[in-house]
Parts: sequence; structure tokens; C-alpha cells
Amino acid sequence: MFNIFELEKKFGDLEVLKSISMYIEDGEVVCIIGPSGSGKSTFLRCLNLLEVPTSGKMYYNGTILDADLDSKKLRQEVGMVFQKFNLFPMFTVLKNITYAPINIKKMKKEDAEELAMDLLRKVGLADKANVYPSTLSGGQQQRVAIARALAMQPKMLLFDEPTSALDPELVGDVLEVMKQLAADGMTMVVVTHEMGFARDVADRVVFMDKGYVVEEGTPEKIFNQPENQRTKEFLARVL
Amino acid sequence: MNAFSQLQFAKAAEFLVPSLIQGFSVVIQATIFGFLLATILGMVIAIGRLSNIKIIRGFLYVFLELIRGTPLLVQLVYIYYVVPLLFNLIASMFGVKTDVQIASLTAGIFGLGINYGCYMSEVIRASILSVDKGQTEAALVLGFGKYQALFRIVIPQALRSIVPSLGNYLVMMVKDTSLLAYVAVSELLLRTQNFASQTFLTIESYTYLAIAYLVISIPLSHLIKFVEYKLNNK
Repeated sequence: MFNIFELEKKFGDLEVLKSISMYIEDGEVVCIIGPSGSGKSTFLRCLNLLEVPTSGKMYYNGTILDADLDSKKLRQEVGMVFQKFNLFPMFTVLKNITYAPINIKKMKKEDAEELAMDLLRKVGLADKANVYPSTLSGGQQQRVAIARALAMQPKMLLFDEPTSALDPELVGDVLEVMKQLAADGMTMVVVTHEMGFARDVADRVVFMDKGYVVEEGTPEKIFNQPENQRTKEFLARVL
Repeated sequence: MNAFSQLQFAKAAEFLVPSLIQGFSVVIQATIFGFLLATILGMVIAIGRLSNIKIIRGFLYVFLELIRGTPLLVQLVYIYYVVPLLFNLIASMFGVKTDVQIASLTAGIFGLGINYGCYMSEVIRASILSVDKGQTEAALVLGFGKYQALFRIVIPQALRSIVPSLGNYLVMMVKDTSLLAYVAVSELLLRTQNFASQTFLTIESYTYLAIAYLVISIPLSHLIKFVEYKLNNK
């Protein structure tokens, strides 16, 4: 689905990503782990062109991603869920979910609402359709944000530390929804500090540090027999 | 003998108050159209200054510096007297003889609108910038374009903080319409000046003038507080 070659990203003099090469296959769940400031989120944001890479090549289903590409089209296929949910506070939950399908995909209002209710049932929040986001807990808001991303019927979802802003007791519900998505075959790239989730759900775990991909492999390999010294040190601290 | 008993408030009221009431309609016209122009201009400048295009940002920056660096009174006089002359002068360079003049109320509305638009653009810009960047990103990742995100998601949220502060500018503008007297708009001050200079009822006339402004601005500022309260408790 994605092929990435020697991706680099600089913010002024600060080199955040240094020559990242990676692929992401259809239906794969890739978890990216690593210490703060390792470039995980920046890498994720490059995938839907929220950040424009400084150099390197990215192919999405064979199409090269560059400045000429219509990033709106790409983003309709590659959805994203943020750490801080970023729900629209002036819209109800239902309108948060139907807003893009109606305005971007020109879906009929009734169809969009039917889809939204299906998605809300899926994330366990069908009773919250008509409330405003500010009345929801963080975990509920994040599940609405996932439903909002799914409403565009994306081929792939990016998760940027989806549980990092949540109280510990609310993390479980969000991870449960994500597990269900993975089981349904959604292609997912997840930047996360939830090692349990990475171990259970990921097809592949990527360890990043200081702008490089240091090590990648199956969860068993990364968590049980890490080869690189930096991976070992990181895992020793977080596990 | 009480010196105040010489004052002739009743006599002044008889002739001045009807005139002031006529002046109200001029004040209201100048304020409504001036404020409308200021709001549109403020919005356009604010959005232009957030643009990626350097020339637009640079041009607007210079324009703002010019307007904010000169007094409103000077701008009014400039628009009323100088702009038509400049126009005629430039036209004559092309061999066209023109005698353009600008109606005093029109000049007043443009002066107020341009001056206030520049100040209001800063308020609007700050409010737009204060909306969490995550809101724009959330719209972008759903497939909205940059300007769609701005107009559909960001500006509606910014309006919450824009509306109360623009209300204060509205009250200020009502009071600043008094400056239009200097470009011959027969608003409240000019009417009062004429009346006072003819009758020598100076104390009475200008007291009525001050009261006339209070009659507009106090209810207006309370109305704005009420709107603000409603917005915050929605």
C-alpha cells in the first residue's frame, strides 16, 4: 500500500527523520514504538502529507506522493486519529461523524446518518449521537473520533498516540475498538506507548529512535529477542 | 441669586432636541454602514494576513501601518478633501477633465470603515489563531481543503471570541461619528455647534449633546454585554 524510500524531514536545522525506508502492506497492522522525540509522530504525519517530507520518495498504491498530488484525495483514503481527539466542539457527535461524508463525499444526509449510527454502535456509543463532544469522557471522545475517521470509509487509518491523553481506566475501551478494527482487516499504522497492544495486535513492530528505524520485526522478535542495544534499553525501561 | 437659574435648558431643548433627533439617523447610518464595511474589511485583511503569499502579507502589513499610524480625523479629512483632488489631478494627466467630489457622509463611512477595519482585523486574526491547530488538522485529514477548514471549522469557533470584542468597537464607532462633523456631515456635534454659536446657549447645547451620546452608547453597550453573556452560556 505504502512504499517509502529514504524519507527525510527537517524543521529548519532540526533533522527529525533521517532516511526512513519502509513499506506497509494491505491489511497490515504496524505499530511504531520508540522514545519521545524519535520522530514517530512526524513520520506518521508524513504519510498523509500533514507534514511535507524534505526529501525521499513515497509511493501510495504505485502513485508517487509529491507536491503536485491532490492531498485531499489521499486523505480521503488514509484517515487519521489524533492524540487529542480534535472533535469539532460546535457539532453534535452525529454531525461530527456525518460532516465530512456529506460535504466531501456528497453522501445523502440520511445515508450518512445511517452509516454514522452503524459506526456509533460499533464503538459502543449509539446513545450519545445527539450530545456535544464536551459532555463525553476522553475515551468516549476518542471512540467518536475513530467513528468519524471510519465514516469516510478509508482504506487505511493512522493513529497518533490514540490513548496517550486518556486516563488509564479509559484506555481499554479505545484499544478494544482498535483491536476490533484490526480483526476486521483494516490497514493500520499506530504510533503507541501501549506495548501490550503492540504485542497482541501488531503484525509488525517498528522501533524508531533519533529519526531512524532502528529495528523492526514481528512482535515476538522485537519484544522477546530484540537484537539492537537501543531497542533492548528502551524495552527494559518501558516494560 | 443662583447663577444656574440663568440657564435656559427648556429653550435649548425646544430647538436643539428635534435637530439632534434628525442627527441620530445620520449617526445610525454612518455607524451601520461604517461597521459593515469595517467588518468585511477586517475579515478580508485578517484572512489575507494568514495567507501563504508573501506579497499579500507584505502589502497588508504596510497598509495597516499607514492606517494605524495616522489619526482617524486626518484620514477623514484626507478622504473628503484630498482623494477627489488627487483623482481629478491624475485624470487631468490623461487629458480628461473631471470634477469628482465625494459626498460627506460617504467619505465619513469610508473613513470609519477603513480605520476600524484595520483595528478589527487584528482582533479577528488573533481569534482565528487562538483556535486549536488540531481543529484545522482534523478537517484536513477528513479531506477538507485549507480554506474549507478555515471557513467551515475554524472561523465559526473564532466568532465566539470575535463577537464580544467587535461589540466594543461598535460602541466606540458610535462615539467616533462625532469626528464626521469635520467633514461636514450634519451629525450631532455639527448640529450642536451651529446651534450654540447662533444662540450662545453653550452650556445647555453641549450638555444635551453629551446626553444624546449617552442615550445611544449606554443601552448599546448593555445590549452587547447581553449578547456576550448569551454566547458564553450557549
